Amino acid sequence: MTPEQLKKFEEDIAGIYEKGKIKAPVHLRDGNESYLVNIFKDIKAEDYVFSTWASHLHALLKGVSPERVKQDILEGRSITLHYPHYNFYSSAIVGGIAPIALGVAYSLNDKQNRRKGPRCFCFIGDMSFHTGIVNECIRYSIGHDLPIVWVVEDNGKSVGTDTEATCGIKTFDLFNQLRQLIKDYQCKNCKIMYYEYETRYPHSGTGVFVEF
Amino acid sequence: MNYKEEVQKGMDLLAEQSNSIFIGQAVEYKGTALTHQVKNFPSSKLLELPVAEEMQAGFALGLALEGYLPISLYPRMNFIILGMNQIINHLDKWKAMSCGMSNPKVIMKAVVGSRYPLDPGHQHQANYTQAFKSMVKNIDVLELICPAQIMPAYQKAIDSDRSILIAEFGDLY
Repeated sequence: MTPEQLKKFEEDIAGIYEKGKIKAPVHLRDGNESYLVNIFKDIKAEDYVFSTWASHLHALLKGVSPERVKQDILEGRSITLHYPHYNFYSSAIVGGIAPIALGVAYSLNDKQNRRKGPRCFCFIGDMSFHTGIVNECIRYSIGHDLPIVWVVEDNGKSVGTDTEATCGIKTFDLFNQLRQLIKDYQCKNCKIMYYEYETRYPHSGTGVFVEF
Repeated sequence: MNYKEEVQKGMDLLAEQSNSIFIGQAVEYKGTALTHQVKNFPSSKLLELPVAEEMQAGFALGLALEGYLPISLYPRMNFIILGMNQIINHLDKWKAMSCGMSNPKVIMKAVVGSRYPLDPGHQHQANYTQAFKSMVKNIDVLELICPAQIMPAYQKAIDSDRSILIAEFGDLY
């Protein structure tokens, strides 16, 4: 899908949500479509994708049909989309998906710690990126050079909280530390990516109808 | 029938499963009573992890997604509560979250710290089995207080498609 198609998909969902027809929270994004399209060019069908509570666009780019994603959103499953046949999973728990992705990444190496083929891609928001559990997982994946790509999606906010002002550490500085660690350990499989974006939507919903 | 011997038979049964893997602290290195229960298993079946219980609990779920039968070992009941985020919020709800399409199974074992011959104090003696039972819907929680319960519990852990938490008692080892 193109960035324009992704944007249109979210606008369609926003319109339906504002009519009160979705009886569950939806987490829309905007402004990151082009980044995601580029990242997903490197993600193959057999690769695993682990995502957050805002996973519509990730699921679409993993190959799940817009009709199916839309149906699941309408049925109230936006916050934890799961598509096992596409190796796609998400979680609504901050940082919670990271160790699950890590366990799968471990399984994707053979007994000699060589990669068998597929990789994991684990998407995490900026506040999740600051949590202890995510940092434990990233460090372990670096230390064992597991086939996992961590993608930090930084919109500067956790719900409405300013991540950097609250944590006192710049998210990009934390990313740089871990990127340097990956270089120092000469990892061939483990990688980390980062992009910044601004979204016009609030954390949940559209600002109209009801807030979660 | 001896508690410790029955536990070892149960662990041996788990080790016989072709896809089983024992993970946690002190499985490859000496350190706890659980070390003795896995010391004769092939090294390929043992994975020492950092002391990071939440990571371990989620890691086990990930292993199960890829076809492993993870046996996630927690040397103390008060350690496993650090992994409850993963156990309650993910493992217990994963099948429902995926509309029944994905059902990873994890076998967990936690030990209530022994009081004799050394009293470890308030923290290590805790038994949260009842609290676990009240918080999960899709994980079986079995408290093993006598030898006759042990082999049926381990057999159930293998045969069932549900995850299971086995609580044992250090004083009975």
